[in-house]
Amino acid sequence: MVLVLGLLTVVAGPPAGPAVADEAFVTNQGSDDLTVVDLDRMAPVATIAIGGKPAGIAVSRDGRRAYVTSPDSKTLTVIDAETRAIVKRIALTGGPLGLAVHPSGHPVYVADWYAHRLLVVDPEAGSVTAQVTVGESPSGIAPTPDGSLVLTADRDSNQISIIDAASLTVVAVVPVGTRPFGVTVSADGRRAYTANVGSNDVSVIDLAARREIGRVPVGNTPYAVALAGSRAFVTDQHADTITVFDTASLAPVATLAYGGEYPEGIAATPDGRRILVADWFSNTLSAIDAATLKTLGTAKVGDGPRAFGDFIRRTR
Amino acid sequence: MKHWTLTAVAAAAVALVAATADAHGPTRQKVTETIEINAPAAKVWAVIGNFQDMSWHPAVVKGEGKGGNDVNATRTLTLQGGAVIPEETLEKYDAAGMNYSYRITKEDVKVLPVTNYTSRIAVTEEGGKAKVEWRGAFYRGFPNNDPPPELSDEAAIKAIKGVYSSGLEALKKKVESGS
Repeated sequence: MVLVLGLLTVVAGPPAGPAVADEAFVTNQGSDDLTVVDLDRMAPVATIAIGGKPAGIAVSRDGRRAYVTSPDSKTLTVIDAETRAIVKRIALTGGPLGLAVHPSGHPVYVADWYAHRLLVVDPEAGSVTAQVTVGESPSGIAPTPDGSLVLTADRDSNQISIIDAASLTVVAVVPVGTRPFGVTVSADGRRAYTANVGSNDVSVIDLAARREIGRVPVGNTPYAVALAGSRAFVTDQHADTITVFDTASLAPVATLAYGGEYPEGIAATPDGRRILVADWFSNTLSAIDAATLKTLGTAKVGDGPRAFGDFIRRTR
Repeated sequence: MKHWTLTAVAAAAVALVAATADAHGPTRQKVTETIEINAPAAKVWAVIGNFQDMSWHPAVVKGEGKGGNDVNATRTLTLQGGAVIPEETLEKYDAAGMNYSYRITKEDVKVLPVTNYTSRIAVTEEGGKAKVEWRGAFYRGFPNNDPPPELSDEAAIKAIKGVYSSGLEALKKKVESGS
């Protein structure tokens, strides 16, 4: 069905008018590139060569820039998200992996997986302007929607660090489950969720109280969490499932054998109606209906998609 | 210099034996090997479907374990030459679907230069013949930047490809010869 629609659209040419579909920017670590997927058609529309085994991705809120970390080459690649052109490659040190863009578009935060620090990068100047010492093996990064705080999931310290974005000081450390990898902040900025790879659960953190207020069991080796409406969606890497739970009651909703294998990066569309999942082993991006929980379709991407970070590009 | 490197590698190896969830390399690797066997799938599954019996693999000289084919069953494999894979744990077992998944829960990168290793072996039937697919996902043996050659991504891929292809070829020979 998806294929047929895709072919028809190609034959008919690009749609007229200003409506352009939101897109997924999927980092393919094995094939060293990035696939751009049109989320209306669930079809790949561009491939951008990156190099250095790209893993982390962050698209700016205005949809103009995409940033990609390559831990092997220790670079941050800056992409013009609209033209798909590489604007620059910024040389870093250590093991750049997780990253996030400040809601204002500036600066970019990069976690150093090896040196236990958060790098603050000026993407225009192409330079590191500051470093913040955090816990061991910082992985996921998430700013609060108002841009006042930045969170790092410090995987090997079993904690998150909460950093004041203005002063760049760690204002709190919150113990969570074992080996937190992805961290996601709710749209209202009140809560954070970490996927705990080692304890097979999700920690729910109250950001005002700066403490863990709940722990939700999920499937084997969770990677990251996406939020849509009153639901959280968690990729269970080794179980090949998505665990869905209710964010108010923290009660389980469903465990989805959704069709992909080795699910990793996960994100909701801006309208909250669909969940996108990078299927690392099957080399696809899957779309799931956030309400009905049905798999809507898949798009072929490159080898070993990770899409670790905020990989959805808003275009409207 | 060489001595220092070897010492560092040995220290890293010791530290990794009991620490599967600790920091790992930046790039997870995947390997998939398949083979077609001229036999019904059920006949092939009868040979490989017991998690506690890896005797079909030419590199394995002894297997010891507990828990049978239940999820969380474990096995310890002794290889040709005496090296040991300390512990593998069954994560999924599907007799009807003829596949199982397992992970290395206690690793020794001197024996197999990988960390965070998971694997799945599956038999399907296509046109009266069996197709066996054995695949793995893993990180290299060295958890930090700039790995020594023997613990690099390339070394990890080569080692796992070798395990899979030699095992599948031996399996094919064993089943097709009727032994």
